[in-house]
Parts: sequence; C-alpha cells; structure tokens
Amino acid sequence: MADQQTEPAEFSEEAIGHLDALYRGALRLTRDPDRAQDLVQDTYARALRYQHSYQAGTNMKAWLFAIMRNLYWDRFQKANREAVSIDDIGEFALYDQMRDDLGEGPETEVLDRIARSEVVDAVEKLNPLHREVVLLVDVEGFAYKDAAKILEVPIGTVMSRLHRARQQLQKDLFDYAVESGIVGGGLNSRS
Amino acid sequence: MYDCENCVRRLDQLVDKELSGPEVEEVHLHLGACGDCTRRYRFQEGLKRLIRVSGSERAPDALRERLREQLKA
Ligand SMILES: [Zn+2]
Repeated sequence: MADQQTEPAEFSEEAIGHLDALYRGALRLTRDPDRAQDLVQDTYARALRYQHSYQAGTNMKAWLFAIMRNLYWDRFQKANREAVSIDDIGEFALYDQMRDDLGEGPETEVLDRIARSEVVDAVEKLNPLHREVVLLVDVEGFAYKDAAKILEVPIGTVMSRLHRARQQLQKDLFDYAVESGIVGGGLNSRS
Repeated sequence: MYDCENCVRRLDQLVDKELSGPEVEEVHLHLGACGDCTRRYRFQEGLKRLIRVSGSERAPDALRERLREQLKA
C-alpha cells in the first residue's frame, strides 16, 4: 500500500492553519516572544524538510507539536534535561483550601476574578515537564493518547504529570488569590 | 455507586473527557447525589477553561508572512 502523501500546497496550507496554536505553545515554552518566533520558524523548517514522513489524514497538529517540543528540548533544555526534577508538593486542591478557609465550597465565580495574566504567569512558572503537559491537554485540548505520543511517555505518566501540574497551578493561584484579596485566605477564620 | 474518593480520583479524566461512556454515567450517578463533588467538578472544569482562554495570543503577522514564503519554496 502506498503511503498517503499530501500535495505540497495542501500540506503548507494545513500547516499554516496551526500557526497560532504553535506560537502560543512556543510562547509558553520559551517565555520570550523572540525565542518563540525562532522556535516556530525552525519548527516549520523542520516540518517542511520531513514532510514526506507526515501521513496525510493523521493529526498534523500533534505532529507539529512533537517537532516543536523536540526542538525546544534540544535547544533550551538540553543541559537541564536530566536535571529537571519534579518536586512533590503533596496533594493540594484549591477547592479544598478555599472550602477550609472560607468555611464553604468556593463558588466557581472566584475563578472569574483571577486575572488571565496571572494564570499565564502560573503556567509559565511550572517546571518544563509540567508546563508542556498543561499546554497540550488544557490549552490545546489534545487527548491523553496524543499527548503521550508527543511527549514520548506512557499515558499514565501524562495523567500523573497533569495532576501534579494542576495542583501546582492551584497552589500558585491560591497564593495569588489570597495576596490580592480575592479570597480571605483564612484571615477571618478560626483565629 | 462510587464513593467520594472514587469520584474525586476520576475528576481529571472527567473534565478531560477521557472516560468511557459507562464510566461517565457512573461518575454522574455519584455527582447527582453529592453536592460537594459536584462543586469540585464544576470548579475543576472552570479552572481548565480558565487555563485554556488565558493564553490566546495570535502569531504576529510578520511571522505568518515569513512562514508563507518559507513554505512556498
Ligand atoms: Zn462525593
């Protein structure tokens, strides 16, 4: 059976269609607009070079993210690759914390009062292994199995990293919410 | 039916739409009867949505143009 090849023009058109997503991802990974542009440009250059290895009809967005992710680790994190460790912060749930501090379950509206820039900051503060999984699953909506393929880890690892990442995010956002007075943070409870 | 612990353990997968149909039904059976888990579920869903909409930058036009040229070659 012959491999399904995409016409070059079609390939380019589809690839460009994922540009905003890739750029967003590159921004979160590099935390720098210039580096993000370079990373995206190199991702497309590599994609073009390996165009023949892309199978038409498969998930091009996932394929492009896999290329970008590899470039990112080669370029920016090579020295750190072994060194990146995942701190165990223990179980932390913003929901529990707020419920305990406020004496009742927080309304989802609390989330509306958290500034978006603050969420971006919290995501960018995650260690790279946590950041990339949040990026893939929460921001881009990849299924666990696609994220697992992109990251070259088992699905169970995707799930555990995601869980840890969300806990870290919740912890950061909770600290922010307390500092900015969005929630009482226990100041008015049980003293 | 699930207890709260079982339910909470599946909330990540529920918000990520990674549970099978029967599993979703089972979790919802518990959610229907448990206010605490329901609030927790809504909260996690809200947080996921917040993360998704927070970083919605678009690529600069200049980059888009450069790439169009690059891909034409
Ligand atoms: Zn429950």
